[in-house]
Amino acid sequence: MKSHALLFAPINFVDDLLLKFFSPEAINNVVWPFIQIGLVVTLVAGWVAYATYLERKISAFMQARLGPMRVGPWGLLQPIADAIKLLTKEDFIPDKADRGIFFIAPYIAVASAFIVMAVIPFAPDWGVITDINIGLLFVLAVSSVGVLALILAGWSSNSKYALLGGLRSSAQMVSYEVAMGLSLIGALMFARTLSLSGMVNAQSADSIWYVFYQPVGFLIFLVSGIAENNRAPFDLPEAESELVAGFHTEYSGMRWSLFFMAEYAAMVVVSAVAVTVYLGGWYFPFVYRFTEAQGHHNLYVIVSLLVFVVKVLAVLYLYFWLRWTLPRFRYDQLMDIGWKWLIPSALINIALSGLGIFLVQALNGWRGFKTIESISAGLNLTATGKALMIAMGLIGLFITGGLLSKINWRSRDFNLKLQRRNIRLVNLPKGKPAVPAAAPVAGSEI
Amino acid sequence: MILNGWEAVFFWIFSIAAIFAGLLTVMARNAVHSALFLISSLMAVAALFILLGAEFIAGVQILVYVGGVMVLFLFVIMLVNVGAEEQGLSEISNKPRQVAASLIFCLLLVIGLLFAINTGYQGLQKRDEARLGGTTEQRRAQQQNLATGATGTSRITTDTQQVGNSLYRFASLPFEIASVLLLVAIIGSVMLARTLKQEAAVDDVDPEVLLTKVAQEADRAETLQEPT
Repeated sequence: MKSHALLFAPINFVDDLLLKFFSPEAINNVVWPFIQIGLVVTLVAGWVAYATYLERKISAFMQARLGPMRVGPWGLLQPIADAIKLLTKEDFIPDKADRGIFFIAPYIAVASAFIVMAVIPFAPDWGVITDINIGLLFVLAVSSVGVLALILAGWSSNSKYALLGGLRSSAQMVSYEVAMGLSLIGALMFARTLSLSGMVNAQSADSIWYVFYQPVGFLIFLVSGIAENNRAPFDLPEAESELVAGFHTEYSGMRWSLFFMAEYAAMVVVSAVAVTVYLGGWYFPFVYRFTEAQGHHNLYVIVSLLVFVVKVLAVLYLYFWLRWTLPRFRYDQLMDIGWKWLIPSALINIALSGLGIFLVQALNGWRGFKTIESISAGLNLTATGKALMIAMGLIGLFITGGLLSKINWRSRDFNLKLQRRNIRLVNLPKGKPAVPAAAPVAGSEI
Repeated sequence: MILNGWEAVFFWIFSIAAIFAGLLTVMARNAVHSALFLISSLMAVAALFILLGAEFIAGVQILVYVGGVMVLFLFVIMLVNVGAEEQGLSEISNKPRQVAASLIFCLLLVIGLLFAINTGYQGLQKRDEARLGGTTEQRRAQQQNLATGATGTSRITTDTQQVGNSLYRFASLPFEIASVLLLVAIIGSVMLARTLKQEAAVDDVDPEVLLTKVAQEADRAETLQEPT
């Protein structure tokens, strides 16, 4: 390769080494994926350990404290100490628990969080483990299996707090999954593919992030993603002030920490999907021009990977930030946000995005306007088309917000009971009558 | 479809898993265990869909059935009281009538399956070897035409686009009707589940008062209609 390729020789060196033992086909289909999977699992597990440290530090700084400081310099070895403590703790199983399900539940949680990583494009070329044509659907499907783990953990513990936590989590996650799935459809209309790598390619071909086209969709996805991960302010399933610890009340030691691991891994998944679909994934302007175009292929992949990691960390910081600034929602507020705000606005967003794409296509060629460059790899717009689409996205934000605040204005005052009385049962006495025949005479009530 | 290599291995693993999970679904004593076995069965069937090259159907199967329907199932099972028969160790035997009915249906199913397999096998035998080879070649050629995935080894199929196109172009009306049907089912179940007593309780009214009120309303409607 070129002279600078020496800088990243290790990767070519690995390839050469593998070729001595395996056929090229086996390397492509089996060996490389295994190396990638091993790396991703190790790195995410490492992230989970240090996410606890980060969370404690960030919360400490937000509250003008220092956080963990004892173990190692600046408390940097705290996660390792925690891990040792959890591993050596007694693995306690309640007497009346359903043992089989109690054992399985944490593994379902971890597996469903980690399997999703297989389709996430961390970088171009060797930064992708696999690229399937149902990428986004796969992410939604497998992460929806994660709900099962929470319900089963809650049920099998045979404890009322755990059961309540499990029921809450199932209700919450089923209702926010709808909004999450619907919010992604707008972006799919632009990318014209379900493959996550394909979505990044579409954004880099169009040289724009879809968050500009889809501000509403991005906001809905972020909010429902936080709710889907049971993070504060949506952490009703583990609300410590009412449910002790929710669905994992009865868990201890390593099994408990598996739930913790699943939660942080799921956070990575949701932020990675948000970055891939709305923030351009590994695509960043100028990277291609200074690396790949000059022949530094591995440098290009590594810089793209760094871009992706920085974007994901930025979204993850938002999670920590929200957790330590917002109070927990009440249960009815949670359901209100899901059903009265997020799902209707996702539906409005789908209609408006469809209308916007239709308008841009209709305007193409009208009075010399040129809005579309090509539609082969996603919708590729010209500068005029982009300006139009961004403007329509912003207008859509205001339309959606205005419409829903009009509809939901003082919706909490909407007293169904009172209205029913007014409509059908005017002047009827409340409760049990003293004499059954004492009902008011017909016609006297109006 | 002729299976060979790893395809065949995975087909047998998943089909046997689906059958046994299905059996255990009906044999499990605990309702939650039943639901879990049903989930495993659905997962195995989703894997079979992937072997057939229908990735979209597989994804939707897991998303809708495992992530949605079964979660609601579990939700309901947990809210309903566990029956005494689930907890004891004594054998549960069904009534003779139930056994007879299930045996009859089982027999019908077996006859249908035998018929279908026979017809299908005859159809397979009619195709000669050259044509079979041709279809494999065609399949490979179609695969070659597809866009390459980001890893360079896999292909991106157009399965999802085909489903979407055929659903919205050629079957949009049935699709809409099916969604209306679901809506009707939801409203109907809510209406059926609510009794007059519950309605009255929501309104803080005694059921007797409500009944007299309804009777009066009916009377008034009659008297209003008489002059016209």
